[in-house]
Amino acid sequence: MSTIELTGVSRWFGNVVAVNDVTMSIGPGVTGLLGPNGAGKSTLLGLMGGFLPPSSGTVTIDGQAVWRNPSMYKEIGLVPEAEAMFDGMTGEEFVLANARLHRLPDPKAAALAAIEKVEMMDARDRRIGTFSKGMKQRIKMATALVHEPKVLLLDEPFNGMDPRQRMHLLALLQQLGVDGHTVLFSSHILEEVEDIAGTIEVVVAGRQAASGDFRSIRRLMTERPHKYSLASSDNRALAAAIIADGSADAVSITPSGLDVQASDFGRFVHALPRIARDADISLFDVTPADDSLESVFAYLVAR
Amino acid sequence: MNVVVMQLALRALLGSRRVWILVGLSVLLFAVAGLSRWGSGGAVDVSTGVIVNFGFGLLVPIMCLLIGTGVIAPEIEDGSIVYLLAKPVPRRTIALSKLVVAMAVAVVFCVASIVIASLIAGDQDGELAQAMALATLLASIAYVAVFFMIAVLTRNSIIVGLLYALLWEGVLAGYVPGVRAVSVRQWALAPAEQMVKDNPAIPISSDVGLVTGLVMLALVTAGSIVIAIQRLKVLSARVSD
Amino acid sequence: MTVTPGGPPNASVIHDIGFRHYDGPRLGRGWAFRSLLRETLRGAFGLGRPAKVKIMPWVLIGLICVPAIIIVAVTIFTGSSDLPLSYTQYPIAMSLLVSLFLAGRAPYAVSRDLRDGIMPLYLSRPIKRQDYVYAKLLGLALAVWIFVSTPVTILFIGALLAKFPVRQQIFGWLGGLFMAAVLSLLLSALALALASLTKRRGLGVAAVLATLVLLNGFVSVLISVVNMQGSENAGWYFAALDPYLLVDGLSAAWLGVDAQNSFAEPQGALGTVVFTAALSLILTGAVAFLLRRFRKVGGV
Repeated sequence: MSTIELTGVSRWFGNVVAVNDVTMSIGPGVTGLLGPNGAGKSTLLGLMGGFLPPSSGTVTIDGQAVWRNPSMYKEIGLVPEAEAMFDGMTGEEFVLANARLHRLPDPKAAALAAIEKVEMMDARDRRIGTFSKGMKQRIKMATALVHEPKVLLLDEPFNGMDPRQRMHLLALLQQLGVDGHTVLFSSHILEEVEDIAGTIEVVVAGRQAASGDFRSIRRLMTERPHKYSLASSDNRALAAAIIADGSADAVSITPSGLDVQASDFGRFVHALPRIARDADISLFDVTPADDSLESVFAYLVAR
Repeated sequence: MNVVVMQLALRALLGSRRVWILVGLSVLLFAVAGLSRWGSGGAVDVSTGVIVNFGFGLLVPIMCLLIGTGVIAPEIEDGSIVYLLAKPVPRRTIALSKLVVAMAVAVVFCVASIVIASLIAGDQDGELAQAMALATLLASIAYVAVFFMIAVLTRNSIIVGLLYALLWEGVLAGYVPGVRAVSVRQWALAPAEQMVKDNPAIPISSDVGLVTGLVMLALVTAGSIVIAIQRLKVLSARVSD
Repeated sequence: MTVTPGGPPNASVIHDIGFRHYDGPRLGRGWAFRSLLRETLRGAFGLGRPAKVKIMPWVLIGLICVPAIIIVAVTIFTGSSDLPLSYTQYPIAMSLLVSLFLAGRAPYAVSRDLRDGIMPLYLSRPIKRQDYVYAKLLGLALAVWIFVSTPVTILFIGALLAKFPVRQQIFGWLGGLFMAAVLSLLLSALALALASLTKRRGLGVAAVLATLVLLNGFVSVLISVVNMQGSENAGWYFAALDPYLLVDGLSAAWLGVDAQNSFAEPQGALGTVVFTAALSLILTGAVAFLLRRFRKVGGV
């Protein structure tokens, strides 16, 4: 069992704060690290993988820091996003070299076992330079698994995979999670995470936006009231009419018009034109205030 | 020393286009040596000029640059060095393993090229070849260490290395007296000068004394290695681009 | 027999919301060519790029102007009657700096385009393949010409300040500018051809610089060796192999001035013809190579 502990971790590059006061604990099982592009997911993985020191706070795995501590790599498997590998070698030679660098007692057998796990046995004698993107990704997985590490860190592993490869990788990760490994992978696509991540950590603009069970967070996100900005010929009358109708939760009058909060937005959107027409009010402007994933995450942060 | 790292380094060095450039440069040196022989009839003082200025002063630094950077710079640049760094192998071991391979290859290539070129151009009982072989041996080791350090420190290692090799060692050392004393070329020539000091026909000269030269070579080599190792320890190989 | 689309009418339909097609005036191929040229020229000096990129070219400009300023100052103060380095000799004397500038800027012109494979993007616009090559070449050549002409012009201004005979100086200066143009074109063609061989900028820089320096060294040895053999006449033919010596010799042949390296001066009419032919050959060869290199759409 291995737990990754981040305590009050921040990382800045000059004036840019990439990770801002993040505290999380990642235990056995599969955890998804979610966030929009540029949120700091790669920086977090770099911190956990020992390639970056935290500017403040501590990053430990089972109590030991990874930074400047190469012996920890016995227990960590890394699947980087970059595609570059030793193109001149065959798949098997590459995994074998990695196995030997790990000082495994029987590197050849370990390499073959890892290659088999990622279903690359047929192509293992081909040069990596001839591999497709999915094949390269799988060989990367093999190098990360060859020493059977307790912790597995994957950076955007599903990038560029076709559906069949994705399903296979999902199954592989799921099995590893069930077996008790600590698997952490990053993604910016919610749906990818849905299937296997038990826990998710949501990161937005370097800050921790949400953590916990995926389904409950999802529910929190869809249950949040939708906001609209309205401008009409008679705002006060419209406000009264909307309240009377009951399809909105709250209406506030602002200098520019009305701000409406509606949790049942479907009903509200249909009711609004009817309300306006019945009250003989012209609508000039109806704007949904928060639609993008960005603002959804931002909402979570504000919470 | 880690054997796997050494094997990978050797493979990377000899399996790439770089090795053909090295071969081409050696051939260029042989051609020039041949021309010199044809022009001078094998006169050893002319040969000395060609071997020391063109071969030792120009080609050896360039070859060592290609080798010293080739053993680590491409991996840093495309990120594949992460596969070496994310292993339970001390960074010091990785650096030293690569350095050993680089120095060995450099010494073999450069010394052999200089010796053969000396013989082609015209020598006197092999004295030129011997003296320059010693100088090349020492210089290659120092150059490789310096260029390796530069490769770890900056992504523009080839440009910086070339500027150093051509501008500093090549040009400034010729015009600015103070610079001459701070140059690998001069330090390595000192023992060579000692070897031929009784032979007026072979005009090898160095601006520094023997002891100074050897000490400086050792210092610069060791210093570069230390700096390179320290930098490698904190190299943040980006986990993703 | 044609098959008419039958079946129930589609429930979904795409509305014409008035997508506006651009019918206005389009600046044509010539404008595109000039834009690309302007971009290359500006890029060579780091304009329109972050400050870090500006350091090297501007430092080099400073460096190449310093000796000119010194020469001007010395000439004025010692009251000598002639410039120690003529307008045509100066660029040749500064050949290492010119090589450095060239080596640094040539890859900028082509490496990124090669690496990102954006030839299809260029070619789906009005410009043709040749336009691309010529625009890059002229842009770089202009940059090098500016680089070389600036100190030459400083010399000219200095000569005027030193009250040298004006007419003579003007002709000398114009001659210097002309030979600088020839040199820039030749060097740019060679440098671009070399730089286009690799996608990596660093390697391109190294290739250009190393080739120029090694070529110079090689040719020097070649010439001195041939001279030692006694065939002095044959010796200077080899000078045509090195671009700097070639232009040096041509300035002597075409303009009648003294070359920086006297051994590079071609003898007689035959020498002039050979050197001129060499210039044309190398230039057209390099351009042809570039055209071929960028022939493949989709990047090389």
